[in-house]
Amino acid sequence: MLLHNLRIAWKSLKRNRALSVLIVTGIALGVAVSTTFATVRHSYAKDPIPTRSDVLYYVRLDSWDPLKPYPGADSTLPPTQVTYRDMAAIMKSDIPRRQSGMFKTALYVYPDPKIGRPFREIVRLCTSDFFPMFDVPMLYGSGWDRKADAAPEPVVVLSREMNDKLFGGKNSVGKTVRMSDREFRVVGVMGDWLPSVKFYDLTQNIIDVPETIYMPFNFVKPMQLRTFGNSDGWGSSGGLSGFDGFLQSESCWLQMWVELPDRASVEKYKDFLSAYVLDQKKHGRFQRPLNNRVSTVREWMRDQRVVPPETTAMLILSLLFLGVCAVNLVGLLLGKFLSRSSEVGVRRALGASRADIFLQHVVECELIGIVGGAIGLLLSLGALLFLNQWLKTTVTRGDFFRLDVPMILLSIGLSLAAGLAAGLYPAWRTCRLAPAAHLSLQ
Amino acid sequence: MLSMKNIRKIYRTDLIETHALDGVSVDVAAGEFVAVMGRSGSGKTTFLNVAGLLDTFDEGTYHLDGQDVSRLSDAEMSRIRNEKIGFIFQSFNLIPDLDVFDNVDVPLRYRRLPAPERKERIERAVEQVGLLSRLRHLPSQLSGGQQQRVAIARVLAGDPKLILADEPTGNLDTLMSREVMDQLEKINEAGTTIVMVTHTPECASRSTRQIHLLDGEVVNLDLLPPEGPAEKTAASYAATLP
Repeated sequence: MLLHNLRIAWKSLKRNRALSVLIVTGIALGVAVSTTFATVRHSYAKDPIPTRSDVLYYVRLDSWDPLKPYPGADSTLPPTQVTYRDMAAIMKSDIPRRQSGMFKTALYVYPDPKIGRPFREIVRLCTSDFFPMFDVPMLYGSGWDRKADAAPEPVVVLSREMNDKLFGGKNSVGKTVRMSDREFRVVGVMGDWLPSVKFYDLTQNIIDVPETIYMPFNFVKPMQLRTFGNSDGWGSSGGLSGFDGFLQSESCWLQMWVELPDRASVEKYKDFLSAYVLDQKKHGRFQRPLNNRVSTVREWMRDQRVVPPETTAMLILSLLFLGVCAVNLVGLLLGKFLSRSSEVGVRRALGASRADIFLQHVVECELIGIVGGAIGLLLSLGALLFLNQWLKTTVTRGDFFRLDVPMILLSIGLSLAAGLAAGLYPAWRTCRLAPAAHLSLQ
Repeated sequence: MLSMKNIRKIYRTDLIETHALDGVSVDVAAGEFVAVMGRSGSGKTTFLNVAGLLDTFDEGTYHLDGQDVSRLSDAEMSRIRNEKIGFIFQSFNLIPDLDVFDNVDVPLRYRRLPAPERKERIERAVEQVGLLSRLRHLPSQLSGGQQQRVAIARVLAGDPKLILADEPTGNLDTLMSREVMDQLEKINEAGTTIVMVTHTPECASRSTRQIHLLDGEVVNLDLLPPEGPAEKTAASYAATLP
């Protein structure tokens, strides 16, 4: 019966093409606008690492100035990053299964002169745990080991793009790359890895692409590497000067991630952090109230306001627009259905119940919704393409706003809901027509 | 087959009450071919609507095929219309964008019959009315007579116990009218009860019995007074008939 009703609905759509085009266009516009803004919001809000987000935690400690809170939209939050000495201290904990302090810096890379001139590249310093902790796919080789962390050994992991650039895309494991004044051995080449937002470092451009070169964190001292990201500080460096002074200062410039496999280990780690801070208080640091944060990926994203509030507002407005489109179509559909009242009378005479007539017309509305939704989806793809092109002017990625499966399903849902909203009342009115009054007996 | 007792149907507006059926009592036995006659406004159409469960009534009782159908739900009335009653209309009432096959298929769809059975019934019914070669034609591609034959095929496919026909030849020329009446006669001979509203004495003469309606009442022409109010005399009534 459903297929039969769909066939009737299709014939009905073809019968009055101009009216059908008008109705379908109304739905298409509403669906296009709402799908576009839903996708924009979803692109920011979705879980960037769904396979691991339940065990990953971002660590923050409130080592800030006792006289004023850390500046930001929410004054209850601690600094977004940790100091070098705090990171070095809490990295000694054996509670996390994996952990990594990290930051990005800029280094000159010296490729084979036959390939090109030296260039400056953003490099991430992290521990070996970075790769398994964030489920980074490997094309060749692997990340380095903990022994390489401790030494530190001059090893690097390259992104696929950097491997293409330096080694023509061939397996470069074992080959060397000169960065700054040192030679680094390639131990791994990453596969395609592009989280929706750069969750592991939300302190700057959140939709930037991951770095192309990764090296052991412990090169920070021997190479005296400073951050290329944010560095918020206060107070003095305790009498030390130069790079050592920077490392001992209250500058917060490191991101700290831990992998905690279960609730118990989370609680245990929080206790460990509290104990550490209380101990530091005895040495005159951490004069603000205890305010440690061990945040899930989602909590970290929320605190960093990854989802721009405008996108939520636009989504609400676009849904209202879809609602207005649907409501405007009620009258058109009612007119369309009532113009066929004699056919309804015939069908009723031939045995159709009110429910049959209602279902027939609801199916027609849903067909309109689906056709309108399909067109709306195409329009939305075009709009997202435009937005991605616009985004490309500020970041190096052109696929941030992606119409993924949940958004396609949402679009279908919106189409069906709009079709139903527009057609429910007309279908109900039509099925209530008295058959005798609308049957052409003469 | 059809038994109405004291049926009243009143149409009300703010200003006026119209007694469309005013105590109508009619019995039609199974296998009968009854012609319902009466002048315009006499209540024929209302009678047919009530008989076909297309309209409700205010008073009285109605038994169809032994079942009291006086107060049924919409779904129950729809089922009875679908299974027991076949309609033939003056204006054919085919659905314009469905071809012959699909038009005949409509009542069978609502009966939820399986596809092979529907196909078999449709082809047999369309063959009976001689239109098998036009199975995929739209109503607009058929003559009036052919369209009425499709409407008859639609009834035949449903195999109803009762056929309600409203001026089935009203839009047809003489030749086609005869063909349609021949078809109805054949259907009646096969045992199906037919109640037909008609103005045409020729069509009425094909029936086995005639019922006359006057101002919402069944009248016996022989019992109408020779004198009285002008509109209620046998002579004035007879004068209104063609």
